[in-house]
Amino acid sequence: MRKKWLGLGLSFMLAAGIAGCGGNDNNGTSDATNGKSDGGTATPASEKSQPVQLKYWTDDRHDQEYIKELINKFNETNGDNIQVELTVMSENYTQSVDIAFSSNQAPDVLRLKSANTSEFVKKGYLAPIDGYLTDDMKKKFGSLLIDNVNRFDGKVYSLANTGLTMRLVYNKDLFAKAGIEKPPVSLQEMVDDAKKITEVGKSEGIYGFALNFKNPKQAFDRSIREILSLSGYQGLGFDMKTGQFDFAPYSQVIKYFKQMHKDGSILPGAETLDIDPLRAQFAAGKIGMYLSFSTEPGVYKDQFPTEINWAGALAPTLDGQIKGTSEIVSAGTWLGISAKSAHQEAAWKFMQYMYGDDVLKTYHEKGFGIAIVPSIVEQAKNPDTNGMEGFLVGDHDSLWPAAPSVTPEGSNYADAFFKYMISDGDLKTITADLNARYNAALSKAVEKGEFTVTPNPAFDPSKPQGE
Amino acid sequence: MNEQALPQQPGIREKNRARPDSGRAGRVVGRTLMWLFLLATAILTLFPLMMTISGSLKTGAEMMTGGSLLPAKPQFANYTEAWKQANFARYTWNSVFVSIMVTAGTLLVASMAAYVVDRRDFPGKSLYVTVQASMMFISVGAIVLRPQFDLMVMLHLNTTLWGVILILISAHSSTFFMLQGFFKAIPRELDEAAMVDGSGFIRTFFRIILPLLIPGLGVAGLFAFRHAWNEYILPLVFTMTNPQLQTLTVGLANLRYGSSAAMQIHLMMAGACLSILPMLLAYIVANKTFIQVTAGSVKG
Amino acid sequence: MSFKWKRLGENSLFLFPSIILTAVLGIYPLFWMLRYMFYDYAGYGEALFVGLDNFRRLMRDGLFWESVGNTFMFAGGKLLLTLPLSLLLAVILNGKLRGGSLLRGIYFMPTVISTAVISVVFYTIFNSYNGMVNTLLVKLHLISQPVDWLGPKHAMLTVILVAVWGAVGNYMLLFLAGLQSIPQDLYESASIDGANAGRRFLHITLPMLAPVAQMVMMLAIIASLKGYESIMVITEGGPIGKTEVMYLYLYKLLFPVSTGSPVAQQLGYGSAVGFASAAIVGAITGLYFFLSRKMNKVY
Repeated sequence: MRKKWLGLGLSFMLAAGIAGCGGNDNNGTSDATNGKSDGGTATPASEKSQPVQLKYWTDDRHDQEYIKELINKFNETNGDNIQVELTVMSENYTQSVDIAFSSNQAPDVLRLKSANTSEFVKKGYLAPIDGYLTDDMKKKFGSLLIDNVNRFDGKVYSLANTGLTMRLVYNKDLFAKAGIEKPPVSLQEMVDDAKKITEVGKSEGIYGFALNFKNPKQAFDRSIREILSLSGYQGLGFDMKTGQFDFAPYSQVIKYFKQMHKDGSILPGAETLDIDPLRAQFAAGKIGMYLSFSTEPGVYKDQFPTEINWAGALAPTLDGQIKGTSEIVSAGTWLGISAKSAHQEAAWKFMQYMYGDDVLKTYHEKGFGIAIVPSIVEQAKNPDTNGMEGFLVGDHDSLWPAAPSVTPEGSNYADAFFKYMISDGDLKTITADLNARYNAALSKAVEKGEFTVTPNPAFDPSKPQGE
Repeated sequence: MNEQALPQQPGIREKNRARPDSGRAGRVVGRTLMWLFLLATAILTLFPLMMTISGSLKTGAEMMTGGSLLPAKPQFANYTEAWKQANFARYTWNSVFVSIMVTAGTLLVASMAAYVVDRRDFPGKSLYVTVQASMMFISVGAIVLRPQFDLMVMLHLNTTLWGVILILISAHSSTFFMLQGFFKAIPRELDEAAMVDGSGFIRTFFRIILPLLIPGLGVAGLFAFRHAWNEYILPLVFTMTNPQLQTLTVGLANLRYGSSAAMQIHLMMAGACLSILPMLLAYIVANKTFIQVTAGSVKG
Repeated sequence: MSFKWKRLGENSLFLFPSIILTAVLGIYPLFWMLRYMFYDYAGYGEALFVGLDNFRRLMRDGLFWESVGNTFMFAGGKLLLTLPLSLLLAVILNGKLRGGSLLRGIYFMPTVISTAVISVVFYTIFNSYNGMVNTLLVKLHLISQPVDWLGPKHAMLTVILVAVWGAVGNYMLLFLAGLQSIPQDLYESASIDGANAGRRFLHITLPMLAPVAQMVMMLAIIASLKGYESIMVITEGGPIGKTEVMYLYLYKLLFPVSTGSPVAQQLGYGSAVGFASAAIVGAITGLYFFLSRKMNKVY
């Protein structure tokens, strides 16, 4: 009998739901269900007024304990009765945001990264913050307002906090064992070193090189990107001077990767490796070197404690000459406000709190990211995380202008080059094909008015932001 | 092998024995080979499951370096950790909720439809049956998820698990056909007698016929439950904006990327055990039913 | 109210939930797809009518046709291993041997386990650097070097093996049901006529099993063409697209999996791909249907 009532109730629900299609109580329903499913921290109902509920979404996991702490403090101390609820998303962050905005569940405050900001602005997700910026803040962040990074069509959408530098991560013990004195500065050296390490260590399952090739784009965007920018080329295949895609420099780098694969210097199974299993293998002393972000020291401190001696060094370049600057990535943006938020003022108050000197300083000192805001850089101490010294911003690091992100027909550059790397093909044809497809997608996007591209013939890779 | 396949009825056996061609030795070899094959297949079938159980009791380090078949020292704490820290309590509740609702809903919707289709004639009946049958065969893949999602947004069901539940119920054609078969077995005279006694159509269905259908409902329910419990892609897409709503399958597969930045395979294995266990228990209890129904589906 | 109207009302009431659910959540999405396959639509903003552009792109989309090829390879491999194996098991278990029902229970067990969950497990045990499969094979001296099970050379084989693991029990049971419906007296009279085991299998078991086998094959073909869940979990279609099947390719157009930077959803083109995939599966099913009918006439 119980089943019967359950079922009947269900069918009524359905009928009611469908009838409610054109109903009038839209917002009420969605809010009610929201409240129920959130199950966040219960806050004592204030007698004055309803608290303002803000949702903050991020896909950062490495700093979540600290961010939670900050949010709890904000919730307790702010005088405007604002309650922030943190949601840490997983791998599908961008899709989740897309779905949220198309279904009226958008968060009020979003973590922005340089890879997704232009996309979010394009889709109208973000509200400009120019109106809120105080003179102090303008002064503090002014030098870091960059077109197409955090400023679009003259409007500012986010502010800088930290950036990620990228380095070659290498196992000092294995290098010493193979008789190599210092990390490679040219790609040829990298190929040779990988081979030497493999020769010495193969019997114990030790290999010279690895990357998380399960997703070639993630693998190359943390390695080749850096090799190229330090060699004087934009790291995602875009040519700043012509305003077109040109994968010719990219194809030069790939040749060396292919050589390492041919030599058998790459960890077997790397084709299906995710980044965390790779780190686990590195921590176990099975990998000579790989390239990655400045998040690595924190990861080896917390998640994969290791006894090996390792360090970060500048990435190798095409010919051993440094003709460009190592790109600081995911810089220039941190938090942004949703255009659909009903509480943009409150969201800004939260943002202002998060961008306070103390928060930014501690963020750097705890090693979650490398501070790039000048006033913070001056006062913050360097994090004492082991291995961090190799990742700190130096003379060869700088911010680059953003490259347009396009979706070409067919496979992306990383998949195409990775295929060449581990099987076969004609590199010239692949490069020409990529150039054609990427530039076609670029001109289509420009035609649609999604963004504008201005060639900069005077672009200098050693000073990417000009003077 | 074929020889072994013969139905071993006494009569046939006698005849076989009478034939001189295959020696006793050949028979023994054949039998041994057959058993080797059967046991090897059984071991291969159980292997992943045994690996899951042994992995769930290893430490993270043991799991990462690989090598040993069994844990050095069983870590039962993995389970409590998975349950609390990796959020499996929440995932389990979501899975239970979805599966029970889907089972109840599917049974109700399909049994009502199957009853009418089996007992009565009405215009468009063959169209209805054809549509239900073709729903089982047309497959356009994930593209349907978008319009389904848009609909749920319109109905404001996208922030709850009801969207997933309704979509799973909407795919009730196989239950419909299964139940139709069961209705056929219930004599029509029963309905007629009840009607004559003044029982209305609806009352007859819920009071007289449904109770008789309970074995059939149990069977169909088991299958609907299994389907809902194991569903992956639908809840994956629908809970992307709401990690709180993830079901076991989704939460578990997401662990591949690491819920707290590091991949914790030992917890993942514990989670896998937690998610496999209920179905496995149901299977052990209702093994016969599963097997009979699956077998029955080709006889019709 | 007249009797007729009352009956109609009752019918409608009972069919209403089923019809409305099927129409709204089953059929409407199909029409949605049929509409948007003529549009350029990224999931936000305006959808742009582009006529047959999506189909032109489909024609020159090497990745899609590669995925179609992979689908055939995956389905073919799965069927070639699953069907004989499950038939063999069914035939053996049909002879009532000791422990038969226990074995049957074991073989069928994979069908109650979630594909996604067990695929996560398979992903970890097939790893080349620390997976249990390699460790065991090395210990048993069957291989000397770890095999790169998920690498470009073997990944397809691996996902096929996983699929076979999940399917054998199911088809074994279906065959078993078919076998058990063959009347025993047929065998008896054949034995009396002096037919040996091989002949009896060829001349009684196979033809009597044919109707069931035809249906089982049909189910198996459709299931193997459609399946992509386990591939999605194990390899995400990689490495270098070696295990990309068409429904996974479609899924990735709509929900780009774990990419570093955003890739726009391609709903218009995805609709065209969905339509083409359904058409391909439909054509194969139809072809099979046609051929098996012809076979019936031959018999």
